Amino acid sequence: MIQIKGLTYFYPGQERPALQDIDLQIPSGQFCGVVGPNGAGKSTFCYALTGFVPHFFRGALQGEVKLGQISIADANLGKLAGEVGLVFQNPFNQISGARFTVREEIAFGLENLGLPRKIIERRVDETIDLIGLGELAERSPFALSGGQQQRVAIASVLAMQPKLLVLDEPTSQLDPQSTQDVFRILDKLAGRVGTTVVLVEQKLEWLAAFADRVIVLSHGHVSLDGQPQKILSDEKMEKFGIGQTQYSLAAAAAKKKKLVPKSRDFPITLKQAIEFFK
Amino acid sequence: MRGSTLFVPGQTVIHHLHPVTKLVITFLCLVLAGTLPSLPWLLTCFVVLLLPLAAIGRILRPFLLRSFAVIAPFVISLSVIQGFFTPGQTPLFHLGSFIFTFEGWLAGLTVAARILLALGGALLLMLSTRPDRLMLALTERGMPGSLAYVVLTAIQIFPRFQERAQVIQEAQQARGLEIHVNIFRRLGLLVPLMGPLVLSSIMDTEERAMALEARAFSRPGRKTSLLLLEDSVWQRIARWTIMVAALGLIVLSFWLKFAR
Repeated sequence: MIQIKGLTYFYPGQERPALQDIDLQIPSGQFCGVVGPNGAGKSTFCYALTGFVPHFFRGALQGEVKLGQISIADANLGKLAGEVGLVFQNPFNQISGARFTVREEIAFGLENLGLPRKIIERRVDETIDLIGLGELAERSPFALSGGQQQRVAIASVLAMQPKLLVLDEPTSQLDPQSTQDVFRILDKLAGRVGTTVVLVEQKLEWLAAFADRVIVLSHGHVSLDGQPQKILSDEKMEKFGIGQTQYSLAAAAAKKKKLVPKSRDFPITLKQAIEFFK
Repeated sequence: MRGSTLFVPGQTVIHHLHPVTKLVITFLCLVLAGTLPSLPWLLTCFVVLLLPLAAIGRILRPFLLRSFAVIAPFVISLSVIQGFFTPGQTPLFHLGSFIFTFEGWLAGLTVAARILLALGGALLLMLSTRPDRLMLALTERGMPGSLAYVVLTAIQIFPRFQERAQVIQEAQQARGLEIHVNIFRRLGLLVPLMGPLVLSSIMDTEERAMALEARAFSRPGRKTSLLLLEDSVWQRIARWTIMVAALGLIVLSFWLKFAR
């Protein structure tokens, strides 16, 4: 369970807060999507959940972020590393460079945690199975495609078995197939393993299909928060500069031309769209 | 294995030796190169000690090629310099007023042979040891983990750096930058290349640092390793014996020098 109370944060030397008065509760095992226009504070939100704000960036933090019993502001990054995981946009930058095979790359974080070798081996094997990296295990992480590298990056963080996994636009540089792979993995994690997943993502169609909840950030605070069905079909989304799913857009156009009765609910997934246009 | 490393993969005894054992052999070669008195001694050591080890490790070919590639310029330059500037009894030929002596030539070759022997030990280590195993062995013996990280990433990231430079250069070419010009103009072309290359790398640094933190890199306390370095009593005994022998050689050579 993550509890955020009155979170306000200023980057060093900034007069305007990057995050403002955020109050949220995210239960364990929830798959939570975060959307918002550029500069809305999405990345900062990710950093606040994982301790990089304030421990890496410094600056002024008010309010509280608690992961279970741990207060993020009081812990240090080294200690948090096993508890929270953060995956970034650029796959290349997340490859440590200090290991020569995918298998060893995944083990890198566990080695830093000082776990016994037997446990490292077991966890690496489990993670390789979970993410489906078996065929790549003995390859150099640098000899992989962007999508494969991103899966290695996710695996490397997952092997550390964090209670909370935060991903900052992990699919923005990936092709549709790799995007689908990533979403399937996250779905499996939240559903079966019980990891809490917080995902910043621009691809609304994917959030509609997989997320349990969508949070809309704008100007550093939470503007909308609720089930994807409710949030993604909300007309205010356009106002926040986020846009809507392809399905909602098509539905709106159809309604405008009176091809479909006005009373029908906006679809946000392919399945709903098929129903809608019947 | 991709990256700028000399390592030649293999499953031989030499490959499986503990990195520190090979490091000790390298140290012995360095000591031998510094203490042995003459050219025949040095060459004999190279042939009797290093070549068989390289042959057992099935790295004889790259070992010889690399050795000669490095040593050839030394042989030529040292022969010329020592040959002309060392006085001696046996002139071989002269260039104007400069006389090339046999003694000088021999002195040049001896220095080159010293370099060859010292370099050979290091080459044997590099060709038969995976860099991460070497670094692991050294961190286990107290080297800071951050230093090992710097060495290992340098090996792997440098080729990526070259790839990126290539992409930037191609993009600039596509926009009309002429790169097939003479060597001086070409040096000037480094300026538009370095800007984007260095800037983009600096911008990556923050994200890289965060990604490392997320992997508990700065966590205090002992680190463990997935890799397991094989070691044995025999190797431990061999290491101590070689170390004692090498130190003995140093003492002996000093004693001979000052006793005379």
